[in-house]
Amino acid sequence: MTGARRAQGDKLTETEAIERAKQGDGEAFKVLYDLHKRRVYSLCLRMTGNTASAEDLTQEAFLQLFRKISTFRGESAFSTWLHRMSVNVVLMQLRKKGLPIVPLDEATEGEEEGQVKKEPGAPDERLAGSIDRLHLQRAVDELPPGYRTIFVLHDVEGYEHNEIADLVGCSIGNSKSQLHKARIKLRELLRMNRAEKAGKR
Amino acid sequence: MNCGEFERVLPEFLEGEHTREQQAHFDSCSACANLRADLDFISSQAKLLVASEEPRPAVWDALEARLRDEGLIRLPEFVTPKVSIFSRWRTAWLVPVAAALVIAAGIKLYHPAGAGDPAPISKQHGSNPTVAAVAPVSHEDQVLLNTVATRVPAQRARYRADLESANSFIQDAEQSIKDDPNDIYTQQMLINAYAQKQMLYDLAVDRSEQ
Amino acid sequence: MRNAVQTHRITAAQFVIVLALAGIAYANGDVRKDLHFKVGKRPMITIDNPYGAVVVRAGAAHEVVVTAILHSDKVEVDQSQSHNRIEIISHLLSGADVNTGAVQYEVLVPADTNLTVHSDNGRVHAEKLHGDLSLDGSNAAMEVVDCGGGHVHVKTLNGPVNLVNLHDGHVEVMSMGGDVMLNGVSGPLVNINSNSGKILYTGDFAGDGEYDFTSHTGDIEAIAPAYASIDVFARSNQGRVDSDFSLEPKHSSLYTRGGSALVGTMGKAASAVKLVSFSGKIHLKKRQN
Repeated sequence: MTGARRAQGDKLTETEAIERAKQGDGEAFKVLYDLHKRRVYSLCLRMTGNTASAEDLTQEAFLQLFRKISTFRGESAFSTWLHRMSVNVVLMQLRKKGLPIVPLDEATEGEEEGQVKKEPGAPDERLAGSIDRLHLQRAVDELPPGYRTIFVLHDVEGYEHNEIADLVGCSIGNSKSQLHKARIKLRELLRMNRAEKAGKR
Repeated sequence: MNCGEFERVLPEFLEGEHTREQQAHFDSCSACANLRADLDFISSQAKLLVASEEPRPAVWDALEARLRDEGLIRLPEFVTPKVSIFSRWRTAWLVPVAAALVIAAGIKLYHPAGAGDPAPISKQHGSNPTVAAVAPVSHEDQVLLNTVATRVPAQRARYRADLESANSFIQDAEQSIKDDPNDIYTQQMLINAYAQKQMLYDLAVDRSEQ
Repeated sequence: MRNAVQTHRITAAQFVIVLALAGIAYANGDVRKDLHFKVGKRPMITIDNPYGAVVVRAGAAHEVVVTAILHSDKVEVDQSQSHNRIEIISHLLSGADVNTGAVQYEVLVPADTNLTVHSDNGRVHAEKLHGDLSLDGSNAAMEVVDCGGGHVHVKTLNGPVNLVNLHDGHVEVMSMGGDVMLNGVSGPLVNINSNSGKILYTGDFAGDGEYDFTSHTGDIEAIAPAYASIDVFARSNQGRVDSDFSLEPKHSSLYTRGGSALVGTMGKAASAVKLVSFSGKIHLKKRQN
């Protein structure tokens, strides 16, 4: 986010919007919401896999942000600040619902020590070129909640493992291993979807 | 080594930690090469999911209603004038100091190593920061203290002690951020520390202008 | 809108009466000044009084009544009104000091008043108001009692802050060395930023709110009932963190780089509670009975 960032048809910069929002200006709140709504909503949707929950959480994240906006200093960190808050809102909601934030350390279904899993599709066929954003999106939504959290935070949102460890309350090693399992699971789902699609042809 | 075993050590393998046996398996196994390529592909494609969805307009409508209920959005005639340090500071020398205070926290958060340090406050701690260490006041702090001292000498001593406390807080928070730049709680602590210093300037100058 | 001003020299007999009425002790030679203003809804009142107490309570709607006791002729009370805005300023004259410049204010305002008070060392007390309150001072003791609906912002250097029974508004306090005591304070946002002052919270963390308490060296103590519904993050970089509660889930290995921390939830985790200190002790206590 740069200081020159313009919002609403060059009417208001983000910096100006923040300052005006601190004074209770409704238009400024809307400007800030419009600038960041897609990122926040997408995060909430990916983490929960449910549009109704994502809408509620988006609202909650912005509400918390706007409640605290008077304490905000310095525009450069605004985006970071907002997204951290959004992640915390989602994680808190998941905790409230009793959903696992970090998956239990159990073996992936059907996997046994030292054996290769049976995978759908030709083993030498790579995913690249055969899946697009929508395929990936659907597969992420099918991930178990715990895997989804780690995957979204790391691969989608770009958080580092040490940050994820702090955010979700696990060790760095756990974050790394669960991310790996999440990617493996996603690969399985994507290959399965591709195989199903090919079978229908 | 078989493919199942390789899959389990793949995260470490990708970070460059591997044995000869693992490397040999990877070099000779097309299935594991494909696995690695797929995982890289998934990871790279994941970035496409950032900001990919648009919330319904109803989300803003509901949010706006709550903002009004809580009094965060106010009618223009009821907007309380903010007691801002800037609106009350008329002395020219304070302007750059104020600007430095406002941006210092943000800069510190993004350059925790202290390069190009704009804040004139810190005596560097050792590796183990001591809470009770007295942080010296800067030149600007000194000017502020002299301004305060034109009123009551006793206030100067009190403001000096408070400035040292705020500087010490900033120092400790900065040191903690250097230890862990991604710790959001320490980042917030640094912002709070700067806010305290801002308050000191605000109150001191406000009173001096009476 | 109009205002009336009455100024008179206090006689010995009047002194006793006024003392009884206003509850303010003042010496012979003090001057009492009464101000009356007519106002509309949600008036905005600013009182700037370097030395001396400011006590503001809810009174009749559409009327502001100010009683000021001036301790010497080294200070004057300036007042101005523009529509719904009123400013009362204790104007220090040459040679005024903490004693001779002191003015004691008793102010009755409509309950929906937006109030701003600046004071160096006098007591500031606001009660039964539901507009926005902004109080700042150096050594002044700040008290806000039985207020709700509005935002309460308090800034102090070394004066104690005592907030009692506040609800439904945003509460933000910044203090250097003054202790901050909160009793029965709840709302969507309660944010306390202290340097060396202690933060003492007694309440149930209600309101699905966000409670952020931060200090540098000051201890933080929060006393909550067993039924509190909270998501807790507590950490002291160099101090100790204790909890009487059994939080779920337990993360014993978390955030313990040289200090102490705890993370977890109680009940449905309706409110978020963040207790963070650099070196102060943090204790989440269970309220008895």
